[in-house]
This record gives sequence, C-alpha cells and structure tokens, in this order.
Amino acid sequence: MADSKPLTCPSCGKRILKNGYCIGCNMHVDVTWKAFNTSDYHYNIGYDKAIARDLSGAIESLKMSLRYNKKNTMTRNLLGLIYYEMGEVVEAISHFVMSVNYEQSNNIASKYLKELKKDPGRLEFIDQIAKKYNMALGYANTGDYDLAIMQLKSVLGENPHFVKGYLLLALLYLKVENYEKAGTTLRRVLKIDKANPQAIRYLHEMGHTDENIIMMREQSIENDGLLDDVYVEELSVTQNGNLEAPPEDKINVFKEFKKNNIDKTVKLGEYGEVSFAKYSGTYVIVGLVLGILILFFVVVPAQKKKIRNENRNEIKYYSEEMAAKNATISALNEQIAELNVRIENLENDVSMANDSMPDYSTVKTGMSADDLQNMIDNE
Amino acid sequence: MINFEEELKRFKPIPEVSQAEEAIYSNDLKDISDIVTQMTTDFRSTASAAYVQMPGRTRF
Repeated sequence: MADSKPLTCPSCGKRILKNGYCIGCNMHVDVTWKAFNTSDYHYNIGYDKAIARDLSGAIESLKMSLRYNKKNTMTRNLLGLIYYEMGEVVEAISHFVMSVNYEQSNNIASKYLKELKKDPGRLEFIDQIAKKYNMALGYANTGDYDLAIMQLKSVLGENPHFVKGYLLLALLYLKVENYEKAGTTLRRVLKIDKANPQAIRYLHEMGHTDENIIMMREQSIENDGLLDDVYVEELSVTQNGNLEAPPEDKINVFKEFKKNNIDKTVKLGEYGEVSFAKYSGTYVIVGLVLGILILFFVVVPAQKKKIRNENRNEIKYYSEEMAAKNATISALNEQIAELNVRIENLENDVSMANDSMPDYSTVKTGMSADDLQNMIDNE
Repeated sequence: MINFEEELKRFKPIPEVSQAEEAIYSNDLKDISDIVTQMTTDFRSTASAAYVQMPGRTRF
C-alpha cells in the first residue's frame, strides 16, 4: 500500500497537490528542486572563489545562490564568513542570524553567534570601528580629507582587514595626489580580496597594467609604512575642499623629529650604506652563531648517535662471528680428541701385533732375502 | 580619470551594531519562490477583477 502521508513543499513546507503544485508558494515541486539545485551550483562557484581569495566574486556568486534559495544556510554562513573576513562584522552577523533563523539544529552559525555574544567587548569594538568609518566618510564628504585619512588610518590599525576602509583611504590618497600611498593601500586590498574590481579599476586609472597588478599581489605588505603613526600628512585644505601648499610655519612632527635625529648622528658616509653594512655584518655574525649552535646541538649529536649505532652493529656482527668461530673450534677440538683416541687404539693394536709376531732370531743365516720373505708371507 | 565626487557617492555608511536589526531585514531578500508567489497572487487578483468586469457577470 502506498504511503498516505502527503508530500510537503521543500521551500515553504506546505502541502503539495496531486498535480505537483504547492498550495503555499504555487510552484511546481520540480521547479522548486531545480531552483534549489541552481542555488547549490552558485554556492559551489562562490566557495571556489572564496578559496581562491576572490572575495568580491564569491559574494556575487553567493548572492546569486540566495536569489534561487534564500534559505540555503550554507550560502548564508559562507557569506557571513566572507563579510567577517572583509571587516564588515555587522553584515556578517545579520547573515548568521538569518541562517540560524532558517535552520536551528546542526548549524555552525549558531556557534559563531554564541562566540560573539560571549564577548561583549568585541561587539563594542566592532561598533566603534563602524562609527569611526562612518565619521571618516562624513569628513570625506565635507572635504576634510586630512581628518578623514587620519580617522581611516585609526580604523585600519584596529581592523586591518577592512576592505571598504582601504578603498576609501585609497580614493582619498588619489584625491590628494599621493599616488605612492594609494598604490600601497590598494595592494593591501588585493592581499585580502585578490580580484576586488574597485581596487583594480583604481590601479588601472593610476596607469598600472594587468601584469603590474598581478605582481603587486605577490609583494609583501609587511613594513609598507601605510599605518605608521609617526607619518603625518602634509595636507592643508581650504574651505572649498581644494588643496593648497602647506604654510611654512606648520609644525610637522615627523620632520622635526627626523631633523633633530640626523643632527645627532655620527656621519660615516652615506646613511644608507653605513646602516646596511652594519646590519649585514650583524646578520652574518648572528647567522654564524646560529649555525655553530645548530651544529653543536643538532648535527653533532645526530652524527654521534649514528656512529654509536654503527659501532653497536659492528660489535654485534663480530660477536656473532666470534661465537660461530668458537663453536667451530670446539667442534674441531672434539674431532681432534676423537682422532687422538683412535691413534692411541691403533698404536696399542700395533704394539700388540708386534708382541704376537714369531721370533725369527733363530733363523739360520745363509737364507736369501727372497726365501726369508716367502717364509714371512707363509707365516 | 576617476571622478572623485562620483566615486565618493558609492561609499555608503556601514551599519553599526545598534542597526543590526535593520541589516537583518534588508538582507531578507526575495528568492525565486517569493517572486512566483507574488506573481501568482497578482495574476489571480487581476484575473478575478477582469472576470467580474465581463458583461453579464456580477460579483456575488
């Protein structure tokens, strides 16, 4: 007998009629399954892009996945993670909440939310970053570029994965014609999101070729000086937002500090050369010391152990060989003893035979040797 | 050449923690199922209205 339980719609959970249509969403169940399948397909594309660190591309694919099935919790979770990685935590939380709303059990999003809830300080920190970014955007809109840049630097110092912050900072650097800093900022974006279309467009506008951009992705962002606190922008903005030359009496803390320090240093030729030579010598010495330490603490004990093992093996081999030889010697000694006994027996037999021989001393002389022999043989 | 003003307009404020609820509602987008449901509802109401307006038909 067929199962009497009515089929339910995978999308809305309501009953499906005999003709295959859902009474809730009015969609044919085959179409619903097809939509779910397409959603999973776009999720897979998004996942691959996320693995390849094309986060913008992944977001596009995952949003497409949600257009086919907004209840796809895997898509929601991955989207939340990507937003989290890009520093947009509130956006990430909203996707996690939606995910948990659609599926309560066996959902990793609930674990993420629990961890965030456990740390109220973290939420406060996230809120501060959002507020600072919004403030920086406000400064940029009102033409206070220097304030906006300083505020963004502060934001990025606290959240170094905040892609939107980097993009706004790069735009501001482009505005103030600091192309070097703009390039450094965009390089940081490409480290987080390899194919960020906005960053690539800015770099193209700056005159970078596609090959340059690919090379920029490989370059290190360590010590690029982008967020150094000692760096003070030499910016002065007029009321209408245009840049003007900095006044002579403007105090530049960084320049003052550098000037004072240069006056105090002992000049030994070119600053760069002296510095590099000094440090390279130090590096060589440190390297040698490390090498020696490694030699004594790693290589030598390993060699000693190896030699000890070899010696032990040789001793074992020779001991076995000696034991075999000793066994052979004892066997041969036994043979010698046996042979000696046999020799003794034979000598006894010979002596006995000699004793039992007839006395030929009484034989008359004048017999020829042949006659004597014949007589012995006959005997 | 980059038009700074146009580019700046693309940057929108990001939601703060207090605005998380709004972000959740804004992320509850319509999927294909919602669209079909909406279309079916609209079609039914339109068809019902057209049926009533046909000559000789009256709404009961």
